[in-house]
Amino acid sequence: MNRTAGSRVGSVMLGLFALVMLAPLYLVIVNAFKPESAIRQRPFSAAPGLLSTDYLRAALSSPDYNIVKSFGVTVMFVVLVNVLSLALAGPAAYVIARGTRRWHKGMLLVFLAGLFIPGQVLVIPVIYVLRFTGLMGTIPGFVLYEATLTLPLSMFLFVGYIKSIPRELDEAAQIDGAGRLRTFWQVIFPLMRPVVVTAIVLHTIGVWTDFVNPQIVLGPTSGLYTVMTGVYSAIGLHTTDLSVVYPTLLLAIAPVLVFFVIMQRKIVGGLTAGATKG
Amino acid sequence: MRPSNVTLTAPGPPDNPPVQERPRRTHHTPPRPLRVRAARSLPSILMVGPALAAVVAFILIPVVVAGRLSLTDWDGFSDSYKSLGLDNYVQLFHDPGVANAAYVTLVIAVVGTLACNVLGLGLAVMLNGKGRAKAVLRGLFFYPHVLGAVIIGFLWSAILSSEGAVNTLLTAAHRSKIPFLSDPQWALAAVVFVVVWSTFGVNVVLYLAGLQTIPESLLEAARIDGASRWQTFRQVVLPMLAPSVTINVVLVLVQLLRVYDLVLAMTDGGPAGHTQTYAYLVLSESFLNGKIGYASAQSIVLMIVITVLAVVIVALRQRSEKAVEQ
Repeated sequence: MNRTAGSRVGSVMLGLFALVMLAPLYLVIVNAFKPESAIRQRPFSAAPGLLSTDYLRAALSSPDYNIVKSFGVTVMFVVLVNVLSLALAGPAAYVIARGTRRWHKGMLLVFLAGLFIPGQVLVIPVIYVLRFTGLMGTIPGFVLYEATLTLPLSMFLFVGYIKSIPRELDEAAQIDGAGRLRTFWQVIFPLMRPVVVTAIVLHTIGVWTDFVNPQIVLGPTSGLYTVMTGVYSAIGLHTTDLSVVYPTLLLAIAPVLVFFVIMQRKIVGGLTAGATKG
Repeated sequence: MRPSNVTLTAPGPPDNPPVQERPRRTHHTPPRPLRVRAARSLPSILMVGPALAAVVAFILIPVVVAGRLSLTDWDGFSDSYKSLGLDNYVQLFHDPGVANAAYVTLVIAVVGTLACNVLGLGLAVMLNGKGRAKAVLRGLFFYPHVLGAVIIGFLWSAILSSEGAVNTLLTAAHRSKIPFLSDPQWALAAVVFVVVWSTFGVNVVLYLAGLQTIPESLLEAARIDGASRWQTFRQVVLPMLAPSVTINVVLVLVQLLRVYDLVLAMTDGGPAGHTQTYAYLVLSESFLNGKIGYASAQSIVLMIVITVLAVVIVALRQRSEKAVEQ
């Protein structure tokens, strides 16, 4: 094949793909500033005469959905789940990676089995486990459950990685008088930085975009909305009123997109590292 | 006293008496008493314990509870329930709603997995290498992943509705509107499109990771041998990517078999149930209507299908990878 013609076709295709990816984003941004009639008649237009910030302000002060609070709640969940996940998975992965006995292998299998169990299977009975422990509808209950869901992936990533760290380091630390827990946190954990970044990236995206678990485990009675459950309840009432839909969507995605653009390299890089390690 | 910091980089003479080597257990020494062994492994137990307890409490016990509930007619609030044996499972296989949801899910999973992998691999090959434009495009294909399926669903439903942006364009071009969300077949096609739109970016990234592992020397050797781009791709790149293909197929398939929030926000299962996925059925139709027992049976079937599919794909792929090596 003629190479220049081939690459020209390739560029055109890439451009088309980019357009399909960007068009929805453009529509959200433009239509968040327009009245309903303008959205319906001229959805692509960005004529200055049409634009007004009234709709964004209305969405921001909507009585159905406090968007700022939902961001705070979601960020809190992301932080708590990541901290708890690391605290649980790190030491456990260390013991399993260094262990030679059969029960170590068995335990790894128990953790990895979680990778095959879909959330839909768990969420119904988990309600009964949470009720039994008195944690249903509470922040600790939700964080504990969500952190547990991250463990299979964490263990999968961590165990493989720790195995690549030479055992001599552990032995040196132990000769210096460090116990196992201290050996892990002070010697091994700092060396796990790349894989920990991967885990945090994946868990953060997972917790951020999760809808089913906050919707069902936190429930509407808790009064706690994440961005996902908040948008769902806010837009669910007004699906046909586009002058509510677009501004709400823009408010929900703008901070995430800014974060993504800044962190893009880390996010995509973390994922890539996870893929080649796994 | 020792310093509180553990130092690793001090190979100088030890300031302590020589460390005694831990006595190795051999066949000649009698096993230590149980109490001593327990004390020695106590730190390990404390380190694994919490994680294990969490997994047991919130993953393993719930699966067992789901299995138990699936054999009953419990509605979620009554004090009593009847044991039904396998009736829920029998009913499930005769339920036209389940058959419909299984069909919808199958279409999404098969078409979606194919499309995501073809697009992912093709774009990864095009975007491999350095360059600002390539980096920007990688981010562009990936960004839907940070938005969340609920938001993507609402967004596309606004764009594709009968008064949405696409139909406005069609009207302006004097064409008839397309009932993207109100015609059964168009709605299913629209859902598949949006699923692919929001998913294939991760495949681009994963295939790019796979491409990085192919040694440059192999590609150069192919070039020197006069192989065309297509031949190089077919004979060198594709076989080397076999493990990536396995990972990508399994990951996407498993994910697409569980599509729920996107459908909930985009079509709410409509029109008339034609985009009801299996996961939608479990959560919105059965669970929220108080059919806990039936929903549990449906969810257990989903788990079994996913596990079997994943294991079969991995086994098949491993076999074909071995065949390629020989």
